Amino acid sequence: MSGESASVIPRNQVDLVEFVDWSSVECLNQSGTHSLPNALKQGYREDEGLHLESDADEQLLIYIPFNQVIKLHSIAIKGPEEEGPKTVKLFVNREHMGFSNVNDYPPSDTAIFSEDNLTGKTVVVKYVKFQNVRSLTIFIEENQSGSETTKVQKIILYGTTVETTDMKGLKKIEDH
Amino acid sequence: MVLEATMICIDNSEWMRNGDYPPNRFQAQADAISLICGAKTQSNPENTVGVLTMAGKGVRVLVTPTSDLGKILACMHGLEIGGEMNLAAGIQVAQLALKHRQNKKQQQRIILFAGSPIGYEKKVLELIGKKLKKNSVALDIVNFGEEDGEKSEKIEALLSAVNNNDSSHIVHVAPGPSALSDVLISTPIFTGDGEGGSGFAAAGGVSGLDFGVDPNVDPELALALRVSMEEERARQEAAAKKAAEEATKQETGEGQSAPQDATMTESATSIPEKKTNDLMDDENALLQQALAMSMDDPSSSAVVRDTDMLDASADDHDLQLALQLSVEDRAVDQSNQTDVNKLLADQSFVSSILASLPGVDPNDPHVKDLLASMQNQSEKEDEDKGSKDEDKK
Repeated sequence: MSGESASVIPRNQVDLVEFVDWSSVECLNQSGTHSLPNALKQGYREDEGLHLESDADEQLLIYIPFNQVIKLHSIAIKGPEEEGPKTVKLFVNREHMGFSNVNDYPPSDTAIFSEDNLTGKTVVVKYVKFQNVRSLTIFIEENQSGSETTKVQKIILYGTTVETTDMKGLKKIEDH
Repeated sequence: MVLEATMICIDNSEWMRNGDYPPNRFQAQADAISLICGAKTQSNPENTVGVLTMAGKGVRVLVTPTSDLGKILACMHGLEIGGEMNLAAGIQVAQLALKHRQNKKQQQRIILFAGSPIGYEKKVLELIGKKLKKNSVALDIVNFGEEDGEKSEKIEALLSAVNNNDSSHIVHVAPGPSALSDVLISTPIFTGDGEGGSGFAAAGGVSGLDFGVDPNVDPELALALRVSMEEERARQEAAAKKAAEEATKQETGEGQSAPQDATMTESATSIPEKKTNDLMDDENALLQQALAMSMDDPSSSAVVRDTDMLDASADDHDLQLALQLSVEDRAVDQSNQTDVNKLLADQSFVSSILASLPGVDPNDPHVKDLLASMQNQSEKEDEDKGSKDEDKK
């Protein structure tokens, strides 16, 4: 897959940030000051000064549960050229993974980000594997330059909901 | 009251036979551990504690994280001393045990009792620490027993590798007559990052004795007392609010926004701002009476009302002040109104006004009738009020 970029917002897809169950969101190995909401939450991720940074080493493990079942179409990650993520593995519906068992399961999809993609262009995922997503685990294995920490400016997930709660979705498209 | 799952790593190696900590190192350790378990489970009833031994035949988990204090204390019986402590394996197993905790919302913590000398390199320890930090596990280290110069350094290195925002602590306990547990009581290991855990162990614990009940001894009772205090406070506030509202109702003579005002202070301050010129719209008999009283004798009635309100509003100084202000205002208003009414009643004044209005001829019969009726009305009003006064008296 990887490498394909689509238009700014894929047709008929909505930004899934409003379906995220914030109470159970987890991020392992994040730095205390630069935490996950900086990259994921609506207002924060637009702010250039706020980013998510890893702590002890360059890997990051982000667990995002949703409050309803969704289909994931694509994902956009924005980060700095050097410390931005390179290899990103996505796992579907695996609760509470740790760094130890992250290599035990094959990922649902793997994305190798080039520096071009890091400007925020969307990367389409293997749609068939993401039809019934309750939770998404993003494992950032390494970064572009191999530096000690990985920085992520923003993470946007695009997809659709399974149930027809599309009234919100329709509105969003009209806005754009 | 942090929600935590804790794994305690006991050092039961041969080094623990030494008697430099009374009665012997192992016993002192056991006592300290029982106290810690108690403190953890009492600071938050959902906390879980598990215990494992690091020496002996190998790392062995005695009890997986549980909130059952009895079970934890029971497993401390019959432990044998022997073998060599295996630090790395011990921490690894502790991590695993925490990973499989039942309540994933609990924070992970390992308490390590490091009594024997440490054979590992500093680098190895730092790696271990980093791994713990990566998995967001906090580590508390009790450094006691053997001290061979390097040990402190290594332990400190381990701690700094793990430490994330001061969630991890280290305590160095030197050998001496005082028990290991006594020394630990005052440390953040026990008190859990500065909370009231010390109230548990310290006999005369000052913290948390709000109601003469130590919340660590009986948290449910303490909680119940606190809740009832708050309810009582809320009820008192509501009662005072109601009294203030009734007082304002009397005053303003309009049953619209004053009683509906949410807060007491809001209503108190809104009184002075209200204009009460529209007396004609009154339908409430009580209000009319009050008006009559106030129309008659602004000063005295104000005083009467003042005392009423003072009674109602107990100790609220601000409310009193506001009410006083509003009363003054009211008195001023009243006098204004009486003036206005008198003016209206004055026939000649009215006719002069009408004359100045374009298109109105004071000699017009219609106008005259109107004036006459107005006059009558005002007279009637006075009469009514007069009769009411008599009724009242």
